[in-house]
Amino acid sequence: MEQLQQLVAEARDRIEAATDLKALDDVRVQYLGKKGSITAQLKELGKLPAEERPAAGQKVNEAKTEVAGLIEARKQALADSALAEQLAREQVDVTLPGRRLPEGSLHPITHTLERIEAFFAGLGFRVAEGPEVEDDFHNFEALNIPEHHPARAMHDTFYFDAHRVLRTHTSPVQIRTMEQQKPPLRVIAPGRVYRCDSDLTHSPMFHQVEGLCVDTDITFADLRGVLSAFLQSFFDRDDLATRFRPSYFPFTEPSAEVDIQCVHCGGDGCRVCSHTGWLEVMGCGMVHPNVLGHVGIDPEQYTGFAFGLGVERMAMLRHGVNDLRLFFDNDIRFIRQFGRTG
Amino acid sequence: MRISIQWLRDWLQIDETPEELGHRLTMAGLELDAIEAAAPAFSGVRVGRVVKVEPHPDADRLRVCQVEAGEDEPLTIVCGAPNVHEGMVAPVAVVGAVLPDNFKIKKSKLRGVASAGMLCSARELGLAEDAEGLLALPEELEIGADLRAALGLDDHILEVDLTPNRADCLGMRGIARECSALLDRPLNEHLAAQTAVELDAGIAIQVEDAEACPLYAARVLDGLDARASTPLWMTERLRRAGVRPLSAIVDVTNYVMLELGQPLHAFDAGRLGETVKVRWARPGESLTLLGGDQEVELDEQDLVIASATAPVALAGIMGGADSAVDDDTTRVVLECAHFAPLALAGRARAHGLHTDASHRFERGVDPTLVEQAMERATRLLLEICGGQCGPVESAGEWPSSHFEQPIRLRRLRIQRLLGTMFEDAEVERILGALACRVESTDDGWAVRAPRARFDLEREEDLIEELARVHGYDRLPQRLPSPVAPAERPPALRALRDQLARQGFHEVISFSFIDVEASRAFYPTVEPLALANPISSDLAVMRPGLWPGLVATAAYNQARQQPDLRLFEHGLRFVPDASGLRQEPRLAGLLGGRANPEHWDAPSRRVDFFDAKGVVEGLCVSVDAPLGFRAEKHPALHDGQSARILAGGRPIGWVGRLHPALCKQFDVEPVYLFDLDAQSVLRAPVAQFAPLSPYPSIRRDLALVVKASVPAGDVLGAIEELGLELVQDVRLFDVYQGKGLNPDEKSLALGLILRAFDRTLGEQDVANVTDKVVEHLHARFQATLRQ
Repeated sequence: MEQLQQLVAEARDRIEAATDLKALDDVRVQYLGKKGSITAQLKELGKLPAEERPAAGQKVNEAKTEVAGLIEARKQALADSALAEQLAREQVDVTLPGRRLPEGSLHPITHTLERIEAFFAGLGFRVAEGPEVEDDFHNFEALNIPEHHPARAMHDTFYFDAHRVLRTHTSPVQIRTMEQQKPPLRVIAPGRVYRCDSDLTHSPMFHQVEGLCVDTDITFADLRGVLSAFLQSFFDRDDLATRFRPSYFPFTEPSAEVDIQCVHCGGDGCRVCSHTGWLEVMGCGMVHPNVLGHVGIDPEQYTGFAFGLGVERMAMLRHGVNDLRLFFDNDIRFIRQFGRTG
Repeated sequence: MRISIQWLRDWLQIDETPEELGHRLTMAGLELDAIEAAAPAFSGVRVGRVVKVEPHPDADRLRVCQVEAGEDEPLTIVCGAPNVHEGMVAPVAVVGAVLPDNFKIKKSKLRGVASAGMLCSARELGLAEDAEGLLALPEELEIGADLRAALGLDDHILEVDLTPNRADCLGMRGIARECSALLDRPLNEHLAAQTAVELDAGIAIQVEDAEACPLYAARVLDGLDARASTPLWMTERLRRAGVRPLSAIVDVTNYVMLELGQPLHAFDAGRLGETVKVRWARPGESLTLLGGDQEVELDEQDLVIASATAPVALAGIMGGADSAVDDDTTRVVLECAHFAPLALAGRARAHGLHTDASHRFERGVDPTLVEQAMERATRLLLEICGGQCGPVESAGEWPSSHFEQPIRLRRLRIQRLLGTMFEDAEVERILGALACRVESTDDGWAVRAPRARFDLEREEDLIEELARVHGYDRLPQRLPSPVAPAERPPALRALRDQLARQGFHEVISFSFIDVEASRAFYPTVEPLALANPISSDLAVMRPGLWPGLVATAAYNQARQQPDLRLFEHGLRFVPDASGLRQEPRLAGLLGGRANPEHWDAPSRRVDFFDAKGVVEGLCVSVDAPLGFRAEKHPALHDGQSARILAGGRPIGWVGRLHPALCKQFDVEPVYLFDLDAQSVLRAPVAQFAPLSPYPSIRRDLALVVKASVPAGDVLGAIEELGLELVQDVRLFDVYQGKGLNPDEKSLALGLILRAFDRTLGEQDVANVTDKVVEHLHARFQATLRQ
């Protein structure tokens, strides 16, 4: 039996010395295998007197269990350290840049149009479009601006020949819409417009959104309500002050210009608002009966309002852009700032 | 229009500050542009009288003056002004005075002579841009009085932008009328009285077209002193109105125009003769305009004033040089007429002119002013220049004060348009204050507008007046009755978003481009040219979007942005036999690296297949099979250019920018695509197709064909076979080189086979591959690679 204890001690030393699974398995075979030295002790039992056999057998079994336990523990230890080594080996520098295609961006004018269209869609205004090379009738005549009207001179029109011009506003889309559809009507017409004027604050091409609402019960109160709500929504300010000033457009009567409280200084007066505290942002009015008449809508039965706004100006105010020309330089360092969602 | 508040007080009381009055006008539609002080800040300047002028002992140009300025003793002041003379009344800045720009007056010595102040010119007081000598003041001013008070310099000028419908406010009296209505304060009308006629001098007037000139009045004034100086109060008012004083006769006509809004003209009677004709010009006639620098060629659309022999003025626009008054004029013909806006419309502009007179006549002048303005100007001329006047001769009808035709104004219509009721008394007060004649009717009123208000033609115009004077901000507001939100077609937004997610930046370039660029990119299109382009590089409408994208790429490459993915959505303009096609396009550009510089991935330059991949991505919703056909485009590289086809119909192009154009437009190599936006914007509703429960089998084939055979044709040929079991064909390798003839290539195809009713067996696969190989052999002499 002394030999048994010596075997166990020997096995323990060798288990601890084993550095991989193969060496460990060799130890197992050597001691616990069919021909292993501890297994061999069981065969020696036959040589003992019968009354000693059970106790001796138990001792051998205990030795086997002990060695097997040591092997299992060592195996676990080896697996643990192998895993630890793998984890250490597979460590990455998490601060290195990931792999991705950089996102592009949409033009700030697109973002602004999207915002405007979304608001008006909520009130039932559908988007309408029209040609940019427009005829004199739709751009002027039908809008109650006959030839030689002083308002024509104010339009700085680009023209091609006696009858074709680049539309100077999106208002002709009002006419085209009413030619094709009958009231009730709620449409907005976003798009490019052109004026023969170019300096720090004027671009020969810019964007407008025209709006038109015609029904049997539309009043100036609706116009004020819709535009005030729009401006408050657009600038994310429920308390944004707006004011309506009388103005003149040949195609609306009464006509108004809409000012908002300066979003830069809050109305105190600053360079942006020329120290007036107000910013002019839109023109609007009740559709002139002559305009309704031109498209065969009875002005006694229907009334409507129309409005037009400059998209660049809205974009400049919302995003703090201070130079109109940036919109058309198309420097991607500029456009990138507005991202995919504005 | 520049409004002197002091001048306004001729008609009504103004208690408001300039800011308050300006705000009230703005909120009534007369938008305040600026408020200006009538004179810059200065103090210590008095009315002085020069009582003695002696030469300076040591300076030829200086004089030593004794000046009474309200002190016990006259002040000794050294002065260099050439016009200083004994008895002259002039501004004197006494010691302690502070002139504009903080110029302080101190006791000083000029060339050894002590000077106790300074005699001032208009320029030194900030009253004029330049001046020759001292400002001569009227003798009746109290000596020693503060100059600001004596000249009423503590006045403000409101500069107001007038909309074209408010021609009635192009005279001070019209503004006063408006203020009276807005402030609800009475207007003191003071009509000019008639001057007694003492001169028996007539003038014959002939008007050819009474529609163009409904009323022409003229009278002779004789014995005038054209050299008389214009009184200071008048030059001050002219100055504040922004009109340069010139000479008494011209100043009076300008003054009356500013006061009443009626342009007048004075002819030298000696040069005009005894007859005045208002007629259309005849071809070949010409006229040298006032000032003498400009000769205009006239035609039948020009209304002129003519003597018996030749035109002497462009009616309602500008007088001629030959008949102009000058310092020697003693006898004038004073014209005061009404010209119809339509007769003058556009004529001033056609001659490159814009005058105070044309500005007013084009917008409409109150014809009743002819009589008043004539009398007012006569009186002022005789007062200032002396002389006598002849009778007023006229041709045409003297108008009544109001339009004949009443406008029907219905109570209910006011509510219908403004969304609120107005008290009857308020309606009548406002319209009355605006000089309308108002009569009650069953359902409202019959309103006759004054002649000055051309813009009041119909019911809506009157309703606007009510709203305007009442104040827009005092009207109600509400939201219209709700309706279902409008549907917004998502397709364009989705494509934009798709491109942005792929790294594209959206640009917006001008719709007009350089004609050279148009020719380079689209040589077969004759572009639509602007008649009045702003510059030669923005002269024709773009036949496509590529020139703008390429210019944008060059702009960005020059700013150290080499990796570019750009797109634009917008119209192209293509003239053709049927007219002009204005078609929405979606176009893009790729240049530089295909993938961003990265620590773990080699960077690669974009090539044709990057561009094509983007196109394929954009066309996923096109409801017809997409195809690409090698085809040349003038702007694209001959070997890297393809037509994009949808079910055989061309919908666009993709390719590499032609190297010659790269050079011409100074841009690094870029790839372009251009798509018909309508074709890619359709978003058909997805339709379900059944799924097979059985597994698929893949079989790979390597086929050798001539290198010139397009891979797309091979794939198309397999599709043509219409084999039911073939679910998909994948081209996974293209090989040329070792093991093949130089003019051959090997295409590796993966056939994905699947049935809906069973698991396929080896025999099924063999049947399909045999058919494919056989067909490709027949079409392209394709062989299986050994």
